This record gives sequence, C-alpha cells and structure tokens, in this order.
Amino acid sequence: MKLKWLKRLLTLHGLLFLFFVYAPIIIVVVYSFNSHPVNMMVWKDFTFDWYLSIFGQSTKLTEQTLYVESTDQLVGAVKNSLIVAVSTTIFSTIVGVATALAVYRHHFRLKPFYQGLLYMPMVMPDIVLGIALLVFFVNFSIQLGMMSIIIGHCTFLISYVFVVVSARLAGMDDSLEQASADLGANPWITFRRVTFPQILPGIVGGALLAFIISMDDLVITYFIAGVDSTTLPVFIYGMLRRGVKPEINAIATLMLVFSFAIASLGLYFRKRS
Amino acid sequence: MPGKQENRRLIALLTPGSIFLGIFFLGPLSVMIVYSFLEPGLYGGVEWNFYHLNYGRILGWADGEWEEFDPVYAEIFFRSVRIAFTNVVITLLICYPAAIWVSGLAVRWRTFVVFIITLPFFVSLVVRLFCWVLILRPSGFMNTTLMGLGLISEPIDIIYTETAVLIGMAYIMLPFMFLPLYASIEKLDRSLVEASSDLGAKPYQTFLRVILPATLPGIAAGAVLVFIPSLGNFVVPDLLGGAKVLMIGNLVEQQFLSARNWPFGAALSVMIMLVMFILIIFYVRRIGRSEIAR
Repeated sequence: MKLKWLKRLLTLHGLLFLFFVYAPIIIVVVYSFNSHPVNMMVWKDFTFDWYLSIFGQSTKLTEQTLYVESTDQLVGAVKNSLIVAVSTTIFSTIVGVATALAVYRHHFRLKPFYQGLLYMPMVMPDIVLGIALLVFFVNFSIQLGMMSIIIGHCTFLISYVFVVVSARLAGMDDSLEQASADLGANPWITFRRVTFPQILPGIVGGALLAFIISMDDLVITYFIAGVDSTTLPVFIYGMLRRGVKPEINAIATLMLVFSFAIASLGLYFRKRS
Repeated sequence: MPGKQENRRLIALLTPGSIFLGIFFLGPLSVMIVYSFLEPGLYGGVEWNFYHLNYGRILGWADGEWEEFDPVYAEIFFRSVRIAFTNVVITLLICYPAAIWVSGLAVRWRTFVVFIITLPFFVSLVVRLFCWVLILRPSGFMNTTLMGLGLISEPIDIIYTETAVLIGMAYIMLPFMFLPLYASIEKLDRSLVEASSDLGAKPYQTFLRVILPATLPGIAAGAVLVFIPSLGNFVVPDLLGGAKVLMIGNLVEQQFLSARNWPFGAALSVMIMLVMFILIIFYVRRIGRSEIAR
C-alpha cells in the first residue's frame, strides 16, 4: 500500500521535473508571437511581426516600438557562427578521430598521458580556458578574430569527438579488423572497408556534437572574439545585457528549432547504428 | 618490418593532435600560470617581474602590506563555493527521484524520456537563461501571472538575488546531474532491492542500505560535473544576479575586460583550475578506482 503511494509520488515528481525543464522554453516560444508592444508578458494578439523584424522587414508594430537592432549585425553574427562551426567541426573531427584511432588501436607507453590530455579540455571550466587563450593570443600578438575563435573552439571540441569515437571503438570487436589483416588486406584497406564503416555513426555523432557546441559556445568566444567577429551567442548575450526586447524571443525560438532539429538528427543516426 | 610500419602509422595519427593541443591548450594554460606571477602594469598590461602578491590580494594582502582588512575577494570566492555547492545539492535532490522514476518506466518509454530530458541541453545556454530572465523579471511572466490571478498585489523582486542565480544555475546544470545518476541507477541490480524488501527491510532501509551505496559513484560523478562549471560560471550571475551576487567568474571577467589587472585575473583563474584539479584527483582516487574494480 505504502509502496504504491511512493510510486505515485515518484511519477508526480517526474512529471514536475519535465514541466520544470520545458515550461520556460514553451513560455518563450508562445510569447514570441505576442503583439503587446510594451510588456512582452501581457498577451495581446497573435503576430509574426517580431519574426519579420529579425529579417529586416519593418512593420507597424516594430516601428512603433522603436526596438530596432540592426539586422545586418544579426545576419553577420549568424554567418560568423556558421563559418566558425563548420571549420571547427571539420578540423576537430579529423584530429579527434585520428587521435582516437591512435589511442584505442595501438599500444604505447604514453597512452594514459594522452587519455588524460584529451579529457582535460572537457572538464576545464570554460572561463579558465577562455582567459588562458586570451592571454596567450595577446602575449604572442596573434590577432583576435575568426581564426582565434576557430582555434579556441578546436582546443576543446577535439576532445568531444575523441570521447564519442573512442566509446565506439572501445565497444567494437577488433576481430573483424584482425581477420581483414590476416586475409592480406593492407592497413589502409582494412581501415576503409572494415573500421571506418563501423565507427561512422560515432564520427557523425561526434561531428554533430562538435557543431552544436561550437554554434552555442558563449564564454570562450566572448573572451577571444575580436571586434568584428561576433558570433550569434555573443551577439544575443550583448543584446540581453542592454535590455530585453521582444525580438530576442523570436531569435530564441528560431535557435530552439534549429538545436532541436540537429539533436534529433543526431539521435536518428544513433538509432540507425 | 610490420612493427616499424605500425610505429610510423601511430606517429602519423598522433602528431596533429599532439601539436595542436600542445600549442593551443597546454601553451595557453602555462602562459596564464606565468602571468599570474607577474606584476600588473600601471595602465593595464604587465611588467615582467616576479610578483607573488596577486594571490595575496585574494585574501586582502596586497602591495606588500595588509590593506585595511577588507576581504572582499575572499568573500566572493567563498560565496562562489557556497553557491556551487548549494547547486549540487539542489540538482541532486531534483534529479535523484527523477532518475529513479525514469529507470522504472517501460523500456520503450525510458529511451524517449531520457532523450526528452537531455534535449534542452542542446539548446543554446543564452537562450535557456533568457527564458528565466523573462520569467523572473519584475514585469516578467511570474509576476504578471501571479498578479493577474490576484495572488499578489506587488511584484516580487526575485531577479538579481541569490535565489534567481540558484534557479538559473540549477536549470542549466540539470542534465549534468541527471545523466550520471540515471546511468548508475539503471545499472543497479533490481534483485538486490527485491531481496532487501523480501527480507523485511522497510523502504527507507532498503534505500539507505542498498540503493544509496550502490549509486554513490553516480552521485559523485554528478556532483563533480555540476560543481566545476558552477564555480567559475559568470553568465548566470551576470544575467540573473546583477551586481549584487558577484561570483568569482564575474571577478575574473572584470579583471580582464574592465579593470585590466590581468595578472590578478590570471591568479583567480588559476585558483578555479586548482579547485578543479583537487576535485578530479579526489574523484579518480576514491570513486574511479572502486568503479574500475567493480
């Protein structure tokens, strides 16, 4: 009898937990369609105007509120974010996969050192890494800009790819690879025909994770972005610091949709494997 | 010689990662540590002299003498530790029952619910915090709704308090606590729980004697994963805590972007890093080994 109540309480807690996780997000999405020009949280009418204003279309509502943040800046920030995310994803995936193959398919003395080295950037608080990179770049007169952001992101995204791919490698039976080698295939063919197809879901998963984290990174980018190379999260953070505007709702909703799409894509690839 | 070839392959695979992380990860950390021992220049910048008082300044000891004792930095440091620790406790209390609930669901549902819980983790941090700014602000969702319902007559000032910081912090760190807890609870041998209750143990006894000890590694992992990013966080206190709830991360940011005392900022970062290392070493020594032994 008592246990039944306990179970019910647990279910209630679980549902409240999900509510706590999703309610804030839903509120933002719903109120991004609110046409109240002064108080964003008082529901007036349904409107698409905030979305239009992000894309540079001025409407009666947005003119009246005078909340005009330059669209060019926003578009520039999105563009910078995409350039950074794509370049870091490509670079960190290649390096991360190579390192994972080295560490999990070979025996060598420095193996524990490399495992430690690759886990370190993941547990390092991002403010520490951001500060360290800033001091480093300034000290060696490396100009802050897109290049410094890309380098900064790679320092920790290599680790994420490494961890995802090495989980795949560790769970994989290497007898197929040995069979391939025994049957006379050279290492390259073994890799291409046997190892690569098996770790491909891991590579795709790692790359997607790297892409999403790079798109989202705020703290490290905040310290090492130059004047002309603001990324989207840094741009929104700046907007938020200057005051809350209804357009941020719309931008936030679009970003939510984007992140959910990428995460679902990741899940799809994992399911297929 | 296959051995030689294999060696060459290994070196080829390892070189890019070693060079990149050597220069751009270990390099910056070393430079930061060096900077934390340099003298701050008068107008920003650094003087290349050895200067150990950046660390003294944290405790109120600066420029070779005790300043009028005003441990403002030490206070901020301890507040950060307190907030980070409170956040660990809050997320643990929220996530533990939730993880038990999820692990008791049918398998089909379980994967789905875990996916749903981790999904917001992929949403931009700024966006997730923005949600809470909207809710907690004086004219925000919470106050408008409560006042609309007639439950309160004056808006509650919750934003720019420690409570707001704790809410935001717990919200963004939930997945870090949930996932390791869930992993360890799911691994738990159900037959042990049944045996315990069959032998007449009351539910709370089963929990304290069987479930809790078996899931301790998950709790420890979650605690470390939540504590470390909470300690150095500066975005949450900046957006939800304002000037009143400064944390060590805000202090570091100020030193670099407005006060321009880089060596002091570097010293503060080194402190955050040290706390991290101590926790990780402790974790690996205590929990990591027993985990491997299992």
